[in-house]
Amino acid sequence: MRDYWLSKLFYDLQSPAAAAEYRAERDKVLDRYRIEAPVRRALAENDVPFLAQRTNAYLLRYYFFATGMKDDEFMRRLRHG
Amino acid sequence: MASFVGAFAASHGPLLIREWEAVPPGEKSRLKNAFEELGRRLKSAKPDVLIVVSPDHWSNFFLDNYPAVCLGVGAANEGPPEPWMKGFAHREIAGHPGFALHIAGEAMRAGFEPSVSHRLKLDHGACIPLWRMGLETLPKIVPMLLNSIEPPMPSLRRCFDWGRLLASAIQTYKENIRVAVLGTGGLSHSIGEPTMGAIYEDFDHETIRLFSSSEDSLISYLEDELPRRGNGSEEVRNWLVAHGAAGGRGFELVDYLPVPTVIVGCGFASWRAS
Repeated sequence: MRDYWLSKLFYDLQSPAAAAEYRAERDKVLDRYRIEAPVRRALAENDVPFLAQRTNAYLLRYYFFATGMKDDEFMRRLRHG
Repeated sequence: MASFVGAFAASHGPLLIREWEAVPPGEKSRLKNAFEELGRRLKSAKPDVLIVVSPDHWSNFFLDNYPAVCLGVGAANEGPPEPWMKGFAHREIAGHPGFALHIAGEAMRAGFEPSVSHRLKLDHGACIPLWRMGLETLPKIVPMLLNSIEPPMPSLRRCFDWGRLLASAIQTYKENIRVAVLGTGGLSHSIGEPTMGAIYEDFDHETIRLFSSSEDSLISYLEDELPRRGNGSEEVRNWLVAHGAAGGRGFELVDYLPVPTVIVGCGFASWRAS
């Protein structure tokens, strides 16, 4: 399954300027995307397995890289939530 | 008439750049030697044009439209957009519109239907091998972006046949140019999925062995095994294109080593032009 708007957010955040804005004003950026409440909550909670079911695996990794999560932590969350 | 002068393949994992300093010295030395050996072989083939077969890592395409295959037919393409690739010197990379459009035309006539782009961003997939091979000047680059990132992907058989098509297009191009093919990516790795970090050495060794066997054996093995060998392993499609371009023969392994620091089974190979 692909959540188009979640994926679009991740895609757009490949731009360093967009990622910086997201880190500084997350809600303002999220308001530009039609992201449903449970998905928005998962973003707030860094719920990696939930998000993984809704987007491409490479985009998922880009997102957490852009938001500053180390690969070790990302992999731990992928496996164990 | 154009001539085929060789095919090459190399891994392109981003951590080969981002985590380079963390790679243990012995592995770093082998990686460096393998890239440089490929660079030597490529330079000695003296290509005027290099067809670089790589996935697009969401640099050009999105879910709105993700082509199975896109040929770069423009006079120039852009260097890698990733901030951590800024050390790659080539920000504008010359293409070869005449030859690229010839490939596209031949493809259409043969029942293949690539998309085309007159300006692409060539991300780390194409540019890490070019960078690490130490080419002082680049041949003209014809990018062939082949989807191995987002399902559905072209069949493995189709990828091999794409290689054959490239060989045929080289033979029928009127201008006297020397053309090589570089397939990038692989071998086994897993990105953004629960198995991330896994390297399947048994799969890599068997895949390498089968590149010296029949293409039917190779493709059959990959069809069976790829679904459980990590999503990054799908990039072996690009090696299949190189293999097809070389007529399915002449494979030579330069080196293979699993590198946990870069989470990739790193493979390097070339095919002799016969």
